Amino acid sequence: MTNQLPPTPTLPPTLPLTPTLPPLAPASSLVNPTPPVVVTIHQAGKYEVRVIRDKCIGAASCVAIANKTFDLDEENIAIILDQHGDDDETRLLAAQSCPTAAIEVIDTETGEMVWPR
Amino acid sequence: MVAPVKAWARLENRVDLNERYIQLNFELVEPHTLSFQAGQYVSIQVDEAGHRRSYSISNNPEIDHGFELLIDLVPAGIGTQYLQNLKLGDTIHLVAPLGVFTVARTQIEPELYLIATGSGVTPFRAMLFDLLQTQRDTRQITLFWGMRKVEHLFWVDEFQELAEAFPQFHFHPVISQALKEWELCRGRVTDCLLVHQINYQAGFYICGSTPMITDVTAFLAQKSVPKDRVHFEKFF
Repeated sequence: MTNQLPPTPTLPPTLPLTPTLPPLAPASSLVNPTPPVVVTIHQAGKYEVRVIRDKCIGAASCVAIANKTFDLDEENIAIILDQHGDDDETRLLAAQSCPTAAIEVIDTETGEMVWPR
Repeated sequence: MVAPVKAWARLENRVDLNERYIQLNFELVEPHTLSFQAGQYVSIQVDEAGHRRSYSISNNPEIDHGFELLIDLVPAGIGTQYLQNLKLGDTIHLVAPLGVFTVARTQIEPELYLIATGSGVTPFRAMLFDLLQTQRDTRQITLFWGMRKVEHLFWVDEFQELAEAFPQFHFHPVISQALKEWELCRGRVTDCLLVHQINYQAGFYICGSTPMITDVTAFLAQKSVPKDRVHFEKFF
């Protein structure tokens, strides 16, 4: 029997780093400009956060800084409400502000521990 | 609670309180004011890698254009080294206010005990100024403050002046390595709690080393103090 590798899955096209801007409108069209179309792209961020319960002392700095990501449970220990409730920068700042380094931040693209380091 | 903000502050003054403790006074640069509650702390970036250290604010929240911090020089970790080496005029980057170790405004607790060891007294200085001078709180408030050596005490004059100005405030320093001539409480703070009449219906606020917090919370549990009347902030 021949072992055949499954076909390589087709990856979805990646988002361009710099979005292509539409061509500039002619000056005459600025008199009565068409209302701009606002497109919001929700990017989940590449960081994943983890709470080390044994280290948490309930200081709640993470909740104060990233309150859409963290909360305290009934034991006053930090829990994750929504892994991507706040952006990467905010969640990293929340982790860095934890007085006991009870929050780990992992880069999901590289697997690297971003914090603590 | 007010949402924390990123801020810059400039070192305005440094007071060497004794061989172990220094007090640093910062003036806010951006934003110009900071609202906080007594008992909250600031998180300061102490190196380029992004490490941060937390320090309780020691001044009355009425002063909103700056803040005072107490620094324990032992052990000399990265936070202590960074702050100790600051020169007057240097700026620091911080996030503040943080923390939930605050006295509830509802006055549901009929009396307050503030129990500290070492630099754990820092948030209590802010609380005392706020409760006594600003809020005009008339409840009985007692501060028990444990220190290993009498020469390491600081802010004693301030606490004694508060006790003179506000008869409902009582101050008990406790020295564990006291010389013979020390006439006040000696031993651990729990030893001092045992020799004073304590109202176990009160609110207890504890700040300091983990062993002290463990001892005091166990002691209060033995006395059937409800858990929601015991508030603590661990120093680490």
